Amino acid sequence: MVTPVLMIAIPLLAAFLMPLIKKAHRYFTFSILLLNAILSVLLFAKVYNDGAIYETIAGFSPPVGIYLAVDNLSALLALIINLFATINFVTSKKDFKFSMLYLLGVTGATGIVLTGDIFNMFVFFEITAVASYALVASKKDEKAVEGSIKYMILGSVGSSFMLIGIAIIYSQLKSLNLYDIAARISSMDPKMMWLSFSFLLTGIGVEAELFPLNGWVPDAYEGASSNIASFLSFGPSKASIYAIARLLIIFSMSRTYELALYVGIATLLIGEVAAFMQKNEKRMLAYSSIGQMGLILIAFSLIKDTSYAIPAAFFIIVSHASAKSSLFLISGKKGFGGITSKYVGLAGVLSLIGMPPMAGFWGKWYLLMGIADEKMWAVAAVIIFSAVIEAIYFARYLHKNLGEGESEDLGYSIPAAVMVSVSIVMGILPLIYNMAGGVLNA
Amino acid sequence: MVVEKIAVIALYTTIAMFVGILFMGVGRKIVARVHNRVGPPVYQGFIDIAKLLTKKTNISHGWIYDLALLFSMTGIMLTILFLPIGGVKLLSMEGDAFLVLYLLAIPALGFALGAGASGNPNAAIGVMRALVMMLSYELPFVITLIALMIYYDTSSIAQIVEMQHAKWAIMIPPFVLAAAVADMALQGMLMEAPFDIPTAPHEIASGPMAEFGGKHLGALMIYKAGTIVAYTTLFVDLFLGGGVVMHDGSVLAYLANFAVWFILIFLVFTLSLLINTSFPRFRIEQAFKFYWKYEALLAFISLIWVYLMVIS
Amino acid sequence: MLELIFAVLLIAAFATLFIKSGRIAAIISLIASAMPLIAVMDWANDFGIKAFSFGVENSMDFSIAGITMHLSITSFAWFFAVMVFSLLPPIFLFSYSFFEKNNGFFPFMLFLITAVFGILLASDFLTLFFFWELMAASSFILVYISRDKKAIMSYLAFSVLSAVLILVGIALLYSQSGTLIFSDIVLNADKVTVSAIILMVAGFAVKSALMPLHAWAPFVYSKADEPFVAFLSGGLSKVGYYGMFFMLFALPGAKILHQYFNSGVATYLLAVIGAISAFIGTLLAFMEDDLRKLLAYSSIAQLGYIAVGFGIGSSLAMAGALFQAFNHAFFKSVLFLAAGAVAYRTGKWKISELGGVGYKMPFTFMAALFAIFALAAIPITSGFAAKWLLYEAAVSNKYIFITPIMLIAGVGAFLYSFRILYGVFLGENRHDDIKEAPLPMIAGMFLLVLPLIIFLIFPGYMLDMMHSALVDAGIGTISHTNYVIRTGTASYNTLAVVIGMMVVMIPAFLIYVLRKQKKVDFKDNFLAGEPYEFYGYISMHAANNFYKPIEDVIMPYLRKGAISFYTALYNAMGRVSDASRKIYTGLSQDYTIYIIIFFFIIVGWLIW
Repeated sequence: MVTPVLMIAIPLLAAFLMPLIKKAHRYFTFSILLLNAILSVLLFAKVYNDGAIYETIAGFSPPVGIYLAVDNLSALLALIINLFATINFVTSKKDFKFSMLYLLGVTGATGIVLTGDIFNMFVFFEITAVASYALVASKKDEKAVEGSIKYMILGSVGSSFMLIGIAIIYSQLKSLNLYDIAARISSMDPKMMWLSFSFLLTGIGVEAELFPLNGWVPDAYEGASSNIASFLSFGPSKASIYAIARLLIIFSMSRTYELALYVGIATLLIGEVAAFMQKNEKRMLAYSSIGQMGLILIAFSLIKDTSYAIPAAFFIIVSHASAKSSLFLISGKKGFGGITSKYVGLAGVLSLIGMPPMAGFWGKWYLLMGIADEKMWAVAAVIIFSAVIEAIYFARYLHKNLGEGESEDLGYSIPAAVMVSVSIVMGILPLIYNMAGGVLNA
Repeated sequence: MVVEKIAVIALYTTIAMFVGILFMGVGRKIVARVHNRVGPPVYQGFIDIAKLLTKKTNISHGWIYDLALLFSMTGIMLTILFLPIGGVKLLSMEGDAFLVLYLLAIPALGFALGAGASGNPNAAIGVMRALVMMLSYELPFVITLIALMIYYDTSSIAQIVEMQHAKWAIMIPPFVLAAAVADMALQGMLMEAPFDIPTAPHEIASGPMAEFGGKHLGALMIYKAGTIVAYTTLFVDLFLGGGVVMHDGSVLAYLANFAVWFILIFLVFTLSLLINTSFPRFRIEQAFKFYWKYEALLAFISLIWVYLMVIS
Repeated sequence: MLELIFAVLLIAAFATLFIKSGRIAAIISLIASAMPLIAVMDWANDFGIKAFSFGVENSMDFSIAGITMHLSITSFAWFFAVMVFSLLPPIFLFSYSFFEKNNGFFPFMLFLITAVFGILLASDFLTLFFFWELMAASSFILVYISRDKKAIMSYLAFSVLSAVLILVGIALLYSQSGTLIFSDIVLNADKVTVSAIILMVAGFAVKSALMPLHAWAPFVYSKADEPFVAFLSGGLSKVGYYGMFFMLFALPGAKILHQYFNSGVATYLLAVIGAISAFIGTLLAFMEDDLRKLLAYSSIAQLGYIAVGFGIGSSLAMAGALFQAFNHAFFKSVLFLAAGAVAYRTGKWKISELGGVGYKMPFTFMAALFAIFALAAIPITSGFAAKWLLYEAAVSNKYIFITPIMLIAGVGAFLYSFRILYGVFLGENRHDDIKEAPLPMIAGMFLLVLPLIIFLIFPGYMLDMMHSALVDAGIGTISHTNYVIRTGTASYNTLAVVIGMMVVMIPAFLIYVLRKQKKVDFKDNFLAGEPYEFYGYISMHAANNFYKPIEDVIMPYLRKGAISFYTALYNAMGRVSDASRKIYTGLSQDYTIYIIIFFFIIVGWLIW
């Protein structure tokens, strides 16, 4: 019997058991993550067959208890996060504290995706954020600490914004259930509604790397060790952008979508333009991540208007999660020292710029189909522009890594290769489109 | 039928060659008279060619070098076949002005190949100049050609000649300008001063021909003779009605047309020689600028003029 | 049938990924690449002579769960397929000797072929775009192998540009007509459709290296592996033109454009762009010292002619354009392969460093010579028939701007042709120690020369081949027999030219046999009496700075070209990028202020 709660409970429990199992902590953590990934596959299969699952943890009602709501898209995202977390963890060589934090981070990200309760969402945000601050700092050099502190400061500001937003909603509607809120949102005082939306968007936006809330991004990604940078790009950021999507659906006003579109465009442009001349590889990848987050937000902002929005967002998320994470993973070494890293580099870049047979291709296809459906010329122009910009700096990135670099570390490049292969698999089997159709009907 | 045609072709090419060689001698005589010299006899061309072709020592620099000879002679004679001579259409119904333009390139390219194969840098310089000259004079020339094609609504030279029966092209106002332009282009085609840059005897030792001798040089002289006939005939066909004065198909008309054609190409050639004797040599970039700036502009004016005439 | 071909190509591609030896990989690729060619030849009965409209036979639906891809062969796709796939076996034959080790050329070439096969067979836009992108991706990896920064960057940037332009165009068309399947699409002459057509034509034009979207071509052509470049120039550029042909005539976009603008201004503009490409490409070509760059600019120029034909759009022009496309596919492949063979033996690319190669590599020279004759459109080659058709089309439409420009570009072709012949193959003999290229290379090149010779005397065969394509696209064909092409006002008889040439060659031959000749080495000739050491190695070479005088005149006008424009754009973008990163000050307090400002802005925007 698969219930979504297991996916949160097991790693959480395991994380707190960690101090007891010091010796074999890596095997333990890995097996927990693997178990979680398997569970998420089963969960996805179940949701796909039987439809969305809504589950209240017995005995407690929100906000104390946990209310979970799982539909196709969230099940898929949970699957992606857990799968990549499992693969990524292979590269970990640190002590048990690291493993513990890592498990907590995964728990939080999974929780954000699966929860159906806005306060729970906040809690999971806090869990994953706190874990991430510590994980970034775990490299223990100056830059890591600097990045971690910036991340922490901005993250805390964001959390408080989010909390205020939740408080406003609760004060108005006396409810924290997302579906409940969505149903009754129009009964709110409009000013309060806008205010709460702004607080929530600002709060989550910090974590979701939206412009101009993303000041921490370049420093944190640069400072973090490569597997943590990789974790950041598939874990917290993807979960938070999904949270923003839920936020948009809850409020579901044309103004909010419009706002999201503008923020998305600004994020896309700033991210891509800033990455264009950035010579430092990790920072460049970080800026590029910002740009991609903007693209995902643009896709989400079309949810109301076109049915292409969700597949578009989904494929961009998959493409970005797998490709960018794997690129971060191999970014520790200078140059592509071997055939595996070459494969990772090429496949990752081709996926990000949207070439088949990678997932990015379908993302680009659906996104532009959606945009054309809405006849938004300016957005199309922005996407053309940013695609070309992106192509140029990624070409430079590829060329820079061509030379005789250090020999590759297979411990990093093989997991990276596995991750990037997910993008290829997802590109070859756009089966997922049918699954992702009709998601988020709530 | 085919044999007859081939016989006519052979006859006409032979005549054309003789005319060309004769013109070379006449040309030297005229130039000499302008210079107030006595000059060689008019049949000097025949003597030279006979001498060169019967030389005992012939030096070859490989098969590409020999190809030059083959290409230049074949190309120029082929061109003549596609030009109506005195209204006689040899093969000119089978091709058109574009074909003639490109056929004229065969000998030039073959000649250039041979010069290249000779390995002499002077030859290479000469070829470079010849090719640049070609690029230069072709622009105004093709513009005038297009003006004619648009006016007569055909690209076939034979038809252009036929349509000039009533009125030669040169009697139509825009084509006076076009003919003037084409005549300057002709000066370049014939490599006469001020456009004798490719051979430039005192400068680069005759350029492309520097390494040629014996039968190869003799063949090239025949080629040179051919070019004189080909280019002047092209001019006469385009602007002077091909020298056709009678079109009743009788033997008399045949002879008369031939005679007029001969006189006309002689006049065109003489005009070119007179210009030759009156001007010093351009530098290659001056020639290029001359053709692409002034000549092309004039040609284009005539083209637009014609275009407006046709449109209205 | 189709499944089998795709399967064979993909299996071969994956197999060659793991093969180290270039020889074995070449053999596998050769066999695999013969598959689509055999299939295409098999379809000849359907398309060779008689008309055949939107293919219903030879089709397959390819359902990758959820998304259906429709594949079927049409007559015009067939014509392009013959052209593209005939190139491949000879190129792989050439590669057998060219690559000792498999550096990734073979697998990605096979992926590329798969993609091209898919593009030509696609009968809906999703399939077309999917394979188009697959082509861009695999060709990008082939460029990536070259390791040249400019090549990699420009190729990827322009590939992506082309892809997004096409994608936006497709999306617009889809939003108008609601279907992606070609045969169901009905176009209206409205703003959206017209902009979609223009965007897509521009997107396809990138691959065809049409100015001003050609800026990648000189870099890529001059750096990537020669066999790939041969296919890139010969084959892939034609795929771009296939896309244009499809958009303009099969869909038919040209009619829509005509209706919308109420005149042929849009297509006329295409013709003008093509003519300017031909003209400027030619000028740039003959000033180039790098053999491969020269060929690159020459490609741009020759491909421009095809655009002229498409722009004019009459049956005469289209026949000329397709003929030119076919010729160009072959002669340019031969030339790039010959350049590859020369580099394989000498290791040099600069024309000023080469010279006299033709004496040591006579067969390579022969192949190159024939290709050059075809390129320069000497009337005894098939190259002339194509250009002749285009000139006739232009002049019969009274295009007073395009015609002279095209003609002068044709003359310019002689200039750079001679530069190749003289600088590389003739002239000063500097390479005593080289051998003729290996047999497979020569065989590959001569196989590619073969069609040029066939269509030399019988241009009618070529017109027969394109007959059904032109009829299906609603263009109509021109009257011809096997060796005579007739337009309304003029005709071109290849047989007359050839026989006439045979006849007049006799006196030339007589002179040739008249006197005995002896062969003299010309070692001393090229020095013209000057001491060798006096001027140094390069500057003494007559091929060095060959067209200097004219270069000095023309270059000032061409210095500010498309490439310098893109470079300036790149630099300006770089400055914008540097400025934009100033937003990220690195100070947490600034970032916190950003958050607060952002919050107030959105609150303000939402509430008021």
